Amino acid sequence: MESEVVHADILLPPVLGFKKIQMADKYPKGQSRGRHWKHLKQILQAENYLNYPANEPNYNNIESPPSMYPPKKFCDITGFETPYTDPRTSIRYANTEVFKRVRSLPNEYVQRYLSLRNAAVVLR
Amino acid sequence: MGWTSRPTRQSDFDRFPSDTPIVIDNGGSTFRIGWAGESDPRITFRNVVQRPRHKATGETVTIVGDHDPALMKYFDCTRSSYRSPFDNNVVYQFEIMEYILDHGFERMGANSQVDHPILITECACNPVSSRSKMAELLFETYAIPAVAFGIDAAFSYKYNQGLGVCNEDGLAINSGLTTSHVIPFVKGEPVLEACCRTNVGGYHVTDYLKQLLSLKYPNHVSRITWEKAEELKMEHCYVALDYSSELKLFQNGTKEAEDKTRCWQLPWIPPPQEEAPSEEEIARKAAIKEKQGQRLREMAAARRVSKISELEQQVHDSGFLLQQLERVQEHEISAFLSATGYTSKQDVESSYVKATESLKRLKGDTAEAEEKIDDELYEKYPLLNVPDNMLTPDQLKEKKKQIFVKTASEGRQKAKQKRFEEGLQREMQHQQEEEKRRENPELYLEHLHVKYRELSEKLDQQKRLKTNGTHTNGSSGGVGRGERLNAAQKERMRLLTTAAFDRGKGEDTFGAKDEDWQLYKLMSKDNEEDDEGVDEDEAELARTAARLQELDPTFVPRSDASPFQPLTELSRLRPLTAEDFQITLGIERFRCPEILFEPNMVGIDQAGLDEMAGISFRRLTSSDKGLKDRISSSILITGGSCLFPGMDARLESGIRKVRPYLSPIRVVRASDPVLDAWRGASSFAAGALFGRQTFTRDDYYEKGEYWLRQYRLTYGL
Repeated sequence: MESEVVHADILLPPVLGFKKIQMADKYPKGQSRGRHWKHLKQILQAENYLNYPANEPNYNNIESPPSMYPPKKFCDITGFETPYTDPRTSIRYANTEVFKRVRSLPNEYVQRYLSLRNAAVVLR
Repeated sequence: MGWTSRPTRQSDFDRFPSDTPIVIDNGGSTFRIGWAGESDPRITFRNVVQRPRHKATGETVTIVGDHDPALMKYFDCTRSSYRSPFDNNVVYQFEIMEYILDHGFERMGANSQVDHPILITECACNPVSSRSKMAELLFETYAIPAVAFGIDAAFSYKYNQGLGVCNEDGLAINSGLTTSHVIPFVKGEPVLEACCRTNVGGYHVTDYLKQLLSLKYPNHVSRITWEKAEELKMEHCYVALDYSSELKLFQNGTKEAEDKTRCWQLPWIPPPQEEAPSEEEIARKAAIKEKQGQRLREMAAARRVSKISELEQQVHDSGFLLQQLERVQEHEISAFLSATGYTSKQDVESSYVKATESLKRLKGDTAEAEEKIDDELYEKYPLLNVPDNMLTPDQLKEKKKQIFVKTASEGRQKAKQKRFEEGLQREMQHQQEEEKRRENPELYLEHLHVKYRELSEKLDQQKRLKTNGTHTNGSSGGVGRGERLNAAQKERMRLLTTAAFDRGKGEDTFGAKDEDWQLYKLMSKDNEEDDEGVDEDEAELARTAARLQELDPTFVPRSDASPFQPLTELSRLRPLTAEDFQITLGIERFRCPEILFEPNMVGIDQAGLDEMAGISFRRLTSSDKGLKDRISSSILITGGSCLFPGMDARLESGIRKVRPYLSPIRVVRASDPVLDAWRGASSFAAGALFGRQTFTRDDYYEKGEYWLRQYRLTYGL
C-alpha cells in the first residue's frame, strides 16, 4: 500500500478484534454466493401484512395516498404553469417559443425531459 | 457536501462502563454513533461503502464513508461505486451494513469486544425481517448484550419537547433523504396508527436539480456532479411561500425575479485578446507583401516573354515550312515532311493556326482573338452551304464535322452572351437596392429583416418536413407509422402502394412492361429534386444575412438549436464569453424543493408534506375534541430536508388550508434538524428506564422474531 493511503487511514481493516465472526469467515473468498439479500419489495411481500389486522400500522399502510388535489401541470422545460401539451412528444410547454424548442429537441432529450416526471416511454 | 475530513479513532472506549449504551442514528444519508448521555455523536460519516480494487496488489478493499477523492488514483473504481445499505429507508443489504457498523465501532475505539447495549434508530414501521436481521447481526457478529430500536423522528420530537420547543401533543414532520414522515404525538407518545409516509426526500430534490441543470446546460454535464448539485441545493434552494405566484414572478421577468436569480460561474479563462497591430507593423507587413508580389509579377512577366518568343519561333518555322510546301510536289510532301516531324500538310497548318492563336492570347487581345477565330471558323465551314447531293462521301463526313464544330462554337457564344446579360441584370438589381436603401434606409433594413425571417422560417419548415419523425421527436405517444416518415419516404411508400394495387387482378405482372421499371427511377429521384429549391433558398438566406451584417452591426445570424450545440461548434460561430460558462439558478431554486410539496412533479403519485399533515389529522381518531387543535399548535419540522429557508412558513400556510377555520397553527423548526434525532436518542438511552426497554441476547435466543414484531419502544422520559 502506498504510504499516502496508509496515512489517510481510509481502509477498513479486514480483521477486527471486537467481532465474533470475521467478514472473511462469513463471506468466504472466491465463493460465489449469488444474491443473498432481498429488495424492499420482496421484503414487504414476505412480511404477509394481510395476515394481520388492518388497523395495525405497517410499512405498507402508513404510506400516503395520492393527492386529493388535481395535479398541476407545469411546462417541462421552463417550469411555468401551463395548460398546453404537445400531442406528438407529450411534452408540456408554456408558450410558442418553448414549443418551437420542443419540436426541435432530439428524441433523447424528449425522453429525458419526460422521465423527469416519470412519463417517459420505457421499452422493455 | 463535498469531502469532509475523516473521523479520528477515539481512544477512550475502555473508560466507559459496560452498561453505558452506545447510541447509533442510522440515517439514510449519515451514520452517527456516540455515547449515551453525551451531547454530540462521537463519529459521523456518510452512510455509504465503496469497495474498489487496489491497483498495485489487486485485492479488494473496503472504504466506508466519504474520503479524499484524490486517493482514488491508487484504486480501480470501475466496478464499484458508492453503495448504501438502504432501499428507500429500510436496511436491506446487511453485508454493507456490517461494513458500516465495523467502521463505526472501530472508530469508536473498540478493541476486544463491544460489550455495551445499543440503541439504534430505524424508520417508522420498519419491516420485521429487516429489524430481526439487524438484531441477528448485532447479537451474533458483535455479541451485543442488548439492543433497542427507536424511530429517529420520535427521538427528535422528544428532544425538542425537552427543550420546550414543542408540546406534549404535537406533530413531527420529518423529511429525510429518501422519505418524509408525518407522525402525530399524543401525550408524548407517537401514534403510529395515524402517521404517514411519502417517498420523497432530499435525494429526489438533489437528483431533480442535477437533471434539470444537465438538461439546461448540455455543454457542462461533466461539471454538474452529484456532489455539486447537493452543494448548490444546500446553498441556494428555498421553498416558495406561494409556488404559483413565485412562478408568475419569474414568468413575467420582473426585477424581483432577477434579484432572486443566482449564478454559478464555471472556471473560464478568456481567450487571449488579439492586440491591434501597430502602424509600423502594418507598414512592415505591407512592404513584405508588396515585395513578394513584385517578385511574383516579375517571374510571371519573364515566363510570358520566353513563352512568346518560343511561340513566335514556332509560328515563324511553320510559316516558313508552309511557304516551302507550296513549292514542293504533291507526292513528295511526305518525304519532305518526314525530316521535320510533321505527317501532313494539314498538320503543319493546324500547328501554325494553334501557335498564332496562343500567341495572340498571350499578347493580351484574347477577346478579339476569339472572335477572329470564330470568323475564321466561319470561313472554315465552306461545305455548310453546299447541298449534300453534290458532295463526295468524304466531304459529307467533313461537313458533319463542320456542323458539329459550328454548333458548339455558337453555343459557347450564346452562353457568353447570357452570362453577360445576367451580370448586367444583377448589377441593375444591386443598383436598385442601393437606391432603395438610399431613399429610406430604415424601411429597407426592415424589409431585409422580414425577408431574412421569412426565409429562415421557410427553410426551417422544409427541414422539419424532411426530417420529420426520423431524427427529431418521433416514436412517442400515439404516433402512426405515417408520421414517422419523412417526405421522401412517404413518397416512396405511395409509389410502392400504387404499383402494388394498380393491377389488382391477383397476378403479379410487375416488370412485364418496360415502364414499370421507371418506378425505381422516380423513387430515387424525388429526394434530390426538392433539394434544389432548398439550396437556392439557402443561398438567398446567406446573401441576405451577409447584407444585413454589412448594414446592421447589431444583427446576429440566428443559429439553430443553439443549446444543443457543443461548445466547440459554438465557438466557431462567435467568440465564447464568460456567460457561456455560467450556470444560472433561477426558477430551479424553488422548483426543486417544491417536489416535497408536490411529489407529482417527479412522477410520485403521493400527497406532499402539507397534505400529509392533513392525512395524519384524518387518520387520528380521538374523542378528545381539543386534541387536534393542541396538536396543530405544536408542529415540529425536523430532518435534513427541512433546512430549506421558507419551509416553516410554507407548511403553516399549507396546513392552514387543511385545518378548520381559525384553528391555532404553529410550526416550529427543530433546534437542530439534523442532529436532534441522535441527541434525543442519546438522552433517552441515558435515562433510567432504558434498561427495561431493551431486547437482550437471551430474549433473542428465547423469543425470536415474533417478539420483535410486537416490540415497540415507549418514549416517555
